[in-house]
Amino acid sequence: MSLEIKNLHKNFGNISLFNDFSFAFHEGTITCILGPSGCGKTTLLNIMGGIIKADSGQLSGFHEKAISYIFQDPRLLPWLTVGENIEFVLKGDMPAEQRHKVTGQLIRLMELEDFAGYYPSKLSGGMRQRVSIARAFAYPSDVILMDEPLKGLDIKLKLNLIRIFSRMWQADRRTVIFVTHDVDEALLLGSDIIVLSRPPAMIMLNERVDIPYETRSLDSGSLRDMEQRMMAALGN
Amino acid sequence: MKISFTGKQYISLASVIFMLIVWKILSLHFDSDFVLPSPEKTLITTLALFGDVSFLATAGTTILRGLAGFIISGVLGIATGILTGINPYVNAFMRPILVTIRSVPVVSIILLALIWFHPGAVPVFIGMLTMFPFISTNVSDGIRSIDPELVVMANFYRVSRKRIVRELYIPAIMPFIVSGASSAMGIGWRAIIIGEVLSQPHYGIGTMMQNAQTFLNVDAVIAWTIIAVLISYVFEKVIRLTESKFIMWRS
Repeated sequence: MSLEIKNLHKNFGNISLFNDFSFAFHEGTITCILGPSGCGKTTLLNIMGGIIKADSGQLSGFHEKAISYIFQDPRLLPWLTVGENIEFVLKGDMPAEQRHKVTGQLIRLMELEDFAGYYPSKLSGGMRQRVSIARAFAYPSDVILMDEPLKGLDIKLKLNLIRIFSRMWQADRRTVIFVTHDVDEALLLGSDIIVLSRPPAMIMLNERVDIPYETRSLDSGSLRDMEQRMMAALGN
Repeated sequence: MKISFTGKQYISLASVIFMLIVWKILSLHFDSDFVLPSPEKTLITTLALFGDVSFLATAGTTILRGLAGFIISGVLGIATGILTGINPYVNAFMRPILVTIRSVPVVSIILLALIWFHPGAVPVFIGMLTMFPFISTNVSDGIRSIDPELVVMANFYRVSRKRIVRELYIPAIMPFIVSGASSAMGIGWRAIIIGEVLSQPHYGIGTMMQNAQTFLNVDAVIAWTIIAVLISYVFEKVIRLTESKFIMWRS
């Protein structure tokens, strides 16, 4: 079963965001969708996640799959601790023992051990986003949607989260669809990178990145070349 | 029990002592127990009240009235608060009612209640009516404070409706309910005692105050006042304790 968007139409007020837009995602990879702000990236993600409805078009594969969502804002419950926030989404799906095991594992993987008992108000923005990522991986999903979760974080935190995220993903290769406007994030995380134009969205660039995550560096020549092509595609 | 004071608490303690000194000076100046008895005489009267045979019936009845008014206004306040918080039309309907209840002088309501109800029920009615708007408004604010994005998140992760209510809505509005209850209680006790003074039920702190005033037992008026303040203080403390349980997640 593939994940596919076919003939999508979506208007927002009198702006046509998507006019007969189609795309097929490779499963088990990280697809980065890049585009200028206001191009409808988040709308596209919300349509795939079923949060908002398309005007017309077909989504195939999405309804059959369990989906996690890493929102731009971490959306943690303020009265629950880090551990409890992760468990919050698991309660309906698994027995207590398994829930604690999964939560404990993710807290370790996301390097949150020292903060498991903290309330969100005591955590920094980057830390909160880590909890949100842990929650998404804890949830037994096939697909993870991400809406610019690194926005607003400084470069050091960003690189650190990218490192943790790619390590997590290599241990548990789910289909990730990642929306961003940041070229560096796409280069460091994407297996497939597509660049969207201003509305109505067209695919300006669709590239496969075959470099293994451990060896990716923003200074390397091949990523630099790709960056040039992406910038050119974004410039439209 | 060891009690230690911080600098600010010393100043507050000094303020209490200052009030007692002013009281003592004034009582010396008037030199009449019918105008203003001394603090120490009032203290003796207060302590004597605790030993009085009818003390429990008097204070207990007032406390029961307070609790009855509080519970009725709590149930009504939470129910209307939830409805007004969820539905803007209900809110538009309730707002003039709440404004009316708040702005009508308590004494007007008491005078009317005296005609309508049994004397023992008047203070309960007054207490209920003064407490209700606080609880209703606070619960309504609490509902509106819920971040809709959190609800989207919970729905997205297929958290059941029942759990969303129990683990998202209720914890979010709990601090608002407690703070509404705290303001309501503060005003409520005073309203109930005014109600008792005017309706003269068989038992009640207000009744005793009115009787003492009639016979110019100024020390007894003040002594019952002290007891009323103590009751209010104890309930305030209980509510604050509950509150700390619900807001420990705040930074």
